[in-house]
Amino acid sequence: MRLRSRYSVGPELKFLGNLDMMHLMERSLRRAAIPYALSEGFNPHIKLSMGTVLPVGLWGENEYFDLELAQTMDLLDFRQKLSAVLPSYLQLKECQEIADTAPSLMKIINAASYVYLLEPPFPSLDKWKEELLARSSLTVRSRGKKKGLDKELRTGIYRIEVDESLNIGRVEIWVAVGEPVNVRYDELGELLLQTGFTQNSIAEVFRSGNYIREGSGYLSPLEVL
Amino acid sequence: MKDRLFRDILPRVAKPARYTGSELNMIKKDWEQAGVKMAFAFPDVYEVGMSHVGGKILYGLVNEKSRHLLERVFAPWPDMEAIMRAEQIALFSLESFHPVLDFEVLGFSLQYELSITNVLNMLDLAGIPLWSRERNEAHPLLIAGGPVVFNPEPFADFFDIFIIGDGEEVLLEFLDEMEASRGLGKAEKLKRLAAIEGVYAPALYSVEYKEDGTLKSFEPKFPGVPARVRKRVVKDLDQAYYPDKPLVPYMEITHDRAVLEVMRGCQRGCRFCHAGIVYRPVRERSLEMLENQARRQLQNTGYEEISLASLSSLDYSGIDPLLKSLVGNYGEKGIGVSLPSLRVDAFSIDLANEVQKVRKTTLTLAPEAGTQRLRDVINKNVSEEQLLEAVEAAFKSGWLSLKLYFMIGLPGETEEDLEGITEILQKVKYIGDKYSRRPVELRASLASFVPKAHTPFQWRVQNSIAELEGKRQFLSRRRKKRIKLSFHDSRTSYLEGTIARGDRRLSPVIYLAWRKGCKFDAWSEYFNFDWWWEAFQESAVDPEFYTGRQRPYEEEFPWDFIDIGVSKDFLREEDQKAEEGLTTADCRQEGCSDCGICLSMEISLDIKGGSAHAIEKQI
Repeated sequence: MRLRSRYSVGPELKFLGNLDMMHLMERSLRRAAIPYALSEGFNPHIKLSMGTVLPVGLWGENEYFDLELAQTMDLLDFRQKLSAVLPSYLQLKECQEIADTAPSLMKIINAASYVYLLEPPFPSLDKWKEELLARSSLTVRSRGKKKGLDKELRTGIYRIEVDESLNIGRVEIWVAVGEPVNVRYDELGELLLQTGFTQNSIAEVFRSGNYIREGSGYLSPLEVL
Repeated sequence: MKDRLFRDILPRVAKPARYTGSELNMIKKDWEQAGVKMAFAFPDVYEVGMSHVGGKILYGLVNEKSRHLLERVFAPWPDMEAIMRAEQIALFSLESFHPVLDFEVLGFSLQYELSITNVLNMLDLAGIPLWSRERNEAHPLLIAGGPVVFNPEPFADFFDIFIIGDGEEVLLEFLDEMEASRGLGKAEKLKRLAAIEGVYAPALYSVEYKEDGTLKSFEPKFPGVPARVRKRVVKDLDQAYYPDKPLVPYMEITHDRAVLEVMRGCQRGCRFCHAGIVYRPVRERSLEMLENQARRQLQNTGYEEISLASLSSLDYSGIDPLLKSLVGNYGEKGIGVSLPSLRVDAFSIDLANEVQKVRKTTLTLAPEAGTQRLRDVINKNVSEEQLLEAVEAAFKSGWLSLKLYFMIGLPGETEEDLEGITEILQKVKYIGDKYSRRPVELRASLASFVPKAHTPFQWRVQNSIAELEGKRQFLSRRRKKRIKLSFHDSRTSYLEGTIARGDRRLSPVIYLAWRKGCKFDAWSEYFNFDWWWEAFQESAVDPEFYTGRQRPYEEEFPWDFIDIGVSKDFLREEDQKAEEGLTTADCRQEGCSDCGICLSMEISLDIKGGSAHAIEKQI
């Protein structure tokens, strides 16, 4: 039996690396005595696969993992048992059974959204958004594979939503993940700094979602099943 | 504090998870409701400190079993330290993020002599005066425990109190007394605390030295202060507290697994071994208790591995059934068992095969010396035949890589003994290549022998840096292909030796070394011998006095007042036997060797599997 789960990672856990998060999840599965399936081979490990890596320094509202079980289990039972042992900063939101043949999260996720929470002073957000999307080229220094080289982000920036209330600003940006353009949150951060924001005005950054983008629609990994 | 840390500070440092706290099974007690507030400080980085079992025991003991509170503090890595200093952030605890200065007791675990510079650095970061005499009752009381404090004297001017022996046996009593003596002046408080067995308050003693530099007298300044300080001992490990819900860090730490302490102490009697003497006698946990502890720890942590800890785990009398039960109960769930060190015999290899059915990577054995003669001198009762049998058994059963531990600079060592190391390595390699399909990999770790206080070799000369370097070159020239040799830094060993048998006159040297920038001395990238050397010269203290002299048997040592239960007479006899190349058998097998521990501590060996001779002798 194979399961796909959605969970949130709170700000307290934002400094965990990907491997740390894997260990946390595996240890939680053991504590909950979930009948996970083990891989064959010299060094058997739990058949757990996480979605795209949540970068160190970010928390996440909608993250995903797939897990293979050695025997069938009631979904509610699974959720309750696992939730009971998870740290309070990590919450299981939703679980569904998926087909054994369903492609992995890593293969299907091709977009993500990041939220930047802002403290004044910062430029007018509506105007900033309009100007940014009107530009045909947005280059920053690459933080990824081609470190240091100029990287063109424009084609990878799909959508921007802004909101200003009670002095707090909120910018949410939907970007491309994987090939051909992979837009990283720190590259977006640099873009903000280039276009009128200061480091001090960025109070918090988190990933609000992971998606499968089809046309102009964004589906969650649980909606494509 | 926490908000500032998460938003402004931690995004700028390496491995921020070192400083966030909130790990699984963390205990955060109500600050206002708690009794005495104690910070438990480990003078090294988080991933090292969190691997320490003693700390886990004390953490659970105080927080679960008393009304007092214990929170953790580790040495910030230099990148974090730089930010803390630049932005005036005082050293804080990981549970409540309180500054260390707010605690009533600050307790350091001293596992290694050179970690003292990190202690001073942490005090400085906390804004606490370094010298005991500069602190009053408004400051946290500075205490220390751990193996290093069996000779506390080099650190006597920094600390207010040392706790000698098994910490879980005395800490709650100590904290209760702290609470009862609230409001008293510091001197009065120290006197009341020093009345607890195992508690040593250095300010209550006066020390004089002779003209030749050796100890003249060591006496209590006040009536009622004990002349000797007896170590505290857990008599029955089954009754002692052990955590069922140890903290599980978010980031990977050095020893990232559940730990079973199968026994405490070791009676093999290796003459170089400090822990083997100061942690006598052997006390075992029962099989049933260990099985229960394993089950509860795994349930509460979800760890993928469980390790058997002790000075010599394969000597545990129930080792065979214990391993079978652990492998049987948890193997199918993908939970592994690990053995930190192996005894040098074929039986041990069988057990190692038992726990490592599939992945056979590296096996570690410790023959310690290169010839039978020298192994007899150090009382490492292992024959070459046993070693080669073990090696053959290992390679036959599919192990591909072997690590061997040796020491250089042992008393009476000759070129022949060094040649012996080379020869053993070649024989082991030959056996490996015979049984293995591909060339085997051999690694030899060569530590420098450091004579330690309270051991049979406490009277001996330590090799100089030049001598150790000569031996290193001698061995390196004879190194063969696919045998990797790694040596301990001889300068580190030299300093370790100086402090290990040092006295109160070393405090200014340590202080100066820290002032010059020494910290993280256990980390080769930070170790700076030149600063230490300058500190010795500027303080006019000659390290040779501590390491380079054969000490006469009649000399009074600065650490003699610490009563470890093993008699000085026994240590002297052992040293004399070493000189004659005579061995002493393990008292579990061949009868009591009169070390004095059982009589003086009014306990008997606690061997769960039983030991005919030990019992007979007791009667």
